[in-house]
Amino acid sequence: MSKAAETLPGPAPVPGQAPGRGAVAGYLGGIRDVVVLELKQRLRSRGWYIMLAVWLVLIALVTAITWAGWNAAMESRAVMPVPDGMPEPQGPGSAIFEVVLAFVLLFALLVAPALSANAVNGDRAGGTLAILQVTLLTPGQILWGKFCAAWLVAIAFLAASTPFLVFAVLLGGLSAGHILVSLLMLVVEVAVICAIGVGISALAGRPLFSIVVTYLAVAALVVGSLIAFGLGVQLTRGTVLANQPVYPSMEFGPGSAPGPFNPEYTCEGPLVEQEAFHTERVAWLLAMNPYVVVADAIPYPERTAPVYYYSGGMIENISQGARSAIAGPDGTYTCANGQVQPQYLGQSTPLWPLGLTLQVALAGLLLWLGWRSLVTPARHLAVGTRIA
Amino acid sequence: MSVAEIPEATRAPLASGVSAVGVSRRFGTVHAVEHMDFDAPSGHVTALIGPNGAGKTTLLLMLASLLQPDSGTITVDGLDPAVDTAAVRRRLGWMPDTLGVWESLTAREILVQMARFYRLPKAGIDARVAELLALVRLEELAGQPARVLSKGQQQRLSLARALVHDPSVLLLDEPAAGLDPGSRVELRTLLRNLAAAGKAVVVSSHVLSELDEIADGAVFVNRGRTVKHQTVEDAAKQGRRYAITALDPAALAAKLTEMGLEFLPGTGRRPSVSLMLNHDDGAAALLRELVTSGIAVVSFGPASGALEETYMNLDTERK
Repeated sequence: MSKAAETLPGPAPVPGQAPGRGAVAGYLGGIRDVVVLELKQRLRSRGWYIMLAVWLVLIALVTAITWAGWNAAMESRAVMPVPDGMPEPQGPGSAIFEVVLAFVLLFALLVAPALSANAVNGDRAGGTLAILQVTLLTPGQILWGKFCAAWLVAIAFLAASTPFLVFAVLLGGLSAGHILVSLLMLVVEVAVICAIGVGISALAGRPLFSIVVTYLAVAALVVGSLIAFGLGVQLTRGTVLANQPVYPSMEFGPGSAPGPFNPEYTCEGPLVEQEAFHTERVAWLLAMNPYVVVADAIPYPERTAPVYYYSGGMIENISQGARSAIAGPDGTYTCANGQVQPQYLGQSTPLWPLGLTLQVALAGLLLWLGWRSLVTPARHLAVGTRIA
Repeated sequence: MSVAEIPEATRAPLASGVSAVGVSRRFGTVHAVEHMDFDAPSGHVTALIGPNGAGKTTLLLMLASLLQPDSGTITVDGLDPAVDTAAVRRRLGWMPDTLGVWESLTAREILVQMARFYRLPKAGIDARVAELLALVRLEELAGQPARVLSKGQQQRLSLARALVHDPSVLLLDEPAAGLDPGSRVELRTLLRNLAAAGKAVVVSSHVLSELDEIADGAVFVNRGRTVKHQTVEDAAKQGRRYAITALDPAALAAKLTEMGLEFLPGTGRRPSVSLMLNHDDGAAALLRELVTSGIAVVSFGPASGALEETYMNLDTERK
């Protein structure tokens, strides 16, 4: 070697030789380097700051309008008689929180594909992917780095919306736990979408195509899961053994004494087969809906008031609806198997772990397929793609 | 690179260069490379020459450990890219023909990132990057985003990027494209110095006259096949076409006819003739003869580079 060559730093030790923690640290270090590159490359384009500003303005508008709407509703309520037993209004916090949360999730679901769905094939089109592949970075490091970068930017968007969620809590009715759990679930949901986007971008040849497909995947999770559930329920027609409920004579409405909450009826007579939909067979479709996952994970107080008057928040209704779907007729049909059914499903049977598991499985599958397409030396190339 | 830094397990005959034996690769039904042989020993600059679509880039991608050949073997310093991928990549510097730069990053940041991707010791990165920026004369633009660099400057940045980990094998796909004449001369000097430092340098290019000055040997490919291996010395010995112009073209033609030499009317703007001469001695003798016989010779020189001559004679399958 020449003298000039000797002054150069030269290669570092071969990776994988260092045992245990050194190898892990090296792997994570590679991911961090890719994240740094991605963030530098992305964050310096002004478009994202404009988008972040638009995001802030939109959420501020939604918060303000919801608050104004709540105030208007309270004014009209003040001049009208309130039925007894009606739960006291919880303050605007709950309503604003739910609306803002729903919008933040909506916007997050819309922004995450834009952040992630051209991460790999955008680089391929720009000729920079092969530059990474020819270095010591492994396909996994490239993929995880791109995922983490997209996720971090998505988290920045979520962080920008935190003040509005905190504002909703400060208005009353909610605990800091709501903020923490809902933000945590939002972060997890955007992670799922980012992973789906990065996976698809590694598989698809063109950025435009992968972005469209990722948006379709989001639409499939949000809307398609509902449609599929609705259609699927039609196929689950079956029977359930039940007998007749007998309600004690009891007046409802103003003046009625708040009786014992559960049970308010008894089941009598012979068990006969009744027609019912076995919703539990297709409830997993519903569980994949990001709204269901987020709503179901957020804690809400156990109800103690009679259910007829109960009107919970949106989050609570989504959660209860989904839980009754997974419980199926055996758990929800009146007097199924001669049992008195609780009309309010407890929180001991959460649905979100199932939904999240399915979402993570989908995202994991796409990431794995994407990883395979990044392995070099490449054996198979997708039709019409060039490696560089 | 010192031998001590390389673990025993991956230690191979150091710097033996890069070679491919019987390599084939097809994309769908297109046979991009068919049973190609290629050898680029260390310490030499090897030119990879062929028309568009001949399979040059596909071959370089396979040599660069990005594409797996369908059949055949590739060795980089004695290592198989598919097996010892990391060890091979540590030795490989690859400059693609597409100009992929991270547009928002500055030239310095790009080189720092590359150094990190190659896991160079952190302490040495700044010095190494400064050294490379000086090498490709981009110090003044080091703080500018890569998107404001001109094509030639991006090309030089791309070269620096390929050199960041001091590879022992350099694969350069069209490195001279877009470079101004001054930068081309610098590139030539740089590549000669790298070869002199014991590296195997592979250059693919269409600009053949330039390769005469840079390359020690050439591999000609066409239609996915290796057509010819040749050193530049051999190319020069095979004879080449000379172009001669004189003040009186008619007198020149008469003299050449009298000497019994076959010649063709020239293709250039000025009235000239061209003829094949087998070696430089013959050229010197002819020039002496023409001058002494009173022909006013204005110019006398090779009409094409030695490699260009071979290339143009390979009209076997050229269309």
